[in-house]
Amino acid sequence: MDQAAAEALVLGFKYIGAGLAAIGVLGGGIGIGIVAGGAVEAMGRNPDATPTIQTNMILGLAFSEATAIYALAVALIILFAA
Amino acid sequence: MTTTHPRRIGFKRWIVIALMIVGGVLAFGVGGVFKPLSPVVVLPPEPIWPGLNIPFTSIPVSNTFLATLFTDVVLLGFAFGAWRFARSGNLVPTGLYNFYEWLVEFLWNMTESAAGKWARRIFPIMAAIFLLVFTANMVKLLPGFESFGWMKEAHAKGYEAVPLFGGLYALDASKPVDKTAEHGGEAAPAGAEKDEFCTEACEVVPFFRATATDINFTFALAVSSVVMTQVFGVWALGMKYFGKFINTGTMISKPLFGVIDFAVGLLELISEFAKILSFGFRLFGNIFAGALLLSILGALTAVVVPSALYGLEFFVGIIQAYVFAMLTLVFMSQATVSHHGDDHAEHASH
Repeated sequence: MDQAAAEALVLGFKYIGAGLAAIGVLGGGIGIGIVAGGAVEAMGRNPDATPTIQTNMILGLAFSEATAIYALAVALIILFAA
Repeated sequence: MTTTHPRRIGFKRWIVIALMIVGGVLAFGVGGVFKPLSPVVVLPPEPIWPGLNIPFTSIPVSNTFLATLFTDVVLLGFAFGAWRFARSGNLVPTGLYNFYEWLVEFLWNMTESAAGKWARRIFPIMAAIFLLVFTANMVKLLPGFESFGWMKEAHAKGYEAVPLFGGLYALDASKPVDKTAEHGGEAAPAGAEKDEFCTEACEVVPFFRATATDINFTFALAVSSVVMTQVFGVWALGMKYFGKFINTGTMISKPLFGVIDFAVGLLELISEFAKILSFGFRLFGNIFAGALLLSILGALTAVVVPSALYGLEFFVGIIQAYVFAMLTLVFMSQATVSHHGDDHAEHASH
């Protein structure tokens, strides 16, 4: 195999790897859905507690979003930095 | 309340619609220099001018650094304005200072409800983080960010530069240059980027780039936040604070659970480092992905859709600043509270 073909092969595997890494975003999406769903349910049951619930909801969103962001960071690093 | 509005359809909205139509026609009808380009994605920040270093060092001035300086100037301007307003003796805030007063009050209430008696010490740090990240995220939405810059010889794919006026150039989207095709699969020689102006395939190195798309900025903030958390922990609990990490207290009295407690303490130690990672990557990932989304969709659609995404980016910028400050606050107030002993005594006394 010559040099150009080998480089093209590596590039192709890079894109495959980045795509596979982006699957990790799935978990973050599910987590955010659960958090927001729970928060809306809680607000419906007890509207007076909305400010507290909102604060905690945003914290929960941030934590579950962080995992998705890790996947994204890995994908970006594979694509542009590695 | 019941008065009728004779001119329900205002004049300004027609200007907006006309500008949108003009933009659409220029982008898709005329094309050329008016057509938005698909972006050149670069992960590390780029030096704004070859050979321009921060004085007395050999660190190049990067575009994110310049944007950070701009953010600082904006923040100092507002601070100076607020100071002058406070000195004027006028007790009723007007205009922007209404917003500032509301913001500080909001942050203060949040701090007080989470940190209690430590609020006065934690507030300056979390408010500084909030204001810095918030302003940086708002400033990056200004036009000119990530679009003006000097032109560099592209490594692989670029566009032909077209002179506009007064020494300004624009990239022509209808004239893409693919170097990899011309040079038989070989990338451009490394010496090409030393040139001040590109010769065939060009790409733009922007003067300003969103501060939080620089991983150095986000990790510097994250490390400061986590280190200050430890400082507050020691300030509140003394050397007992480190007992949280190296937990040998129950090792002798309850051997089996003592070992488990010790392992849990080590996990706490690891989670401190995980905090730095999650702080840093959260801010960086959100803002970088947002910038990427804006430029890619801007290149695809040019009008209407990017405006909606600008709204989303505005929202994300506020949320990320809030989350960074809020998490700092929560971690700090957690560090000031002891996990054993004192906690129960406090509850019993109530």
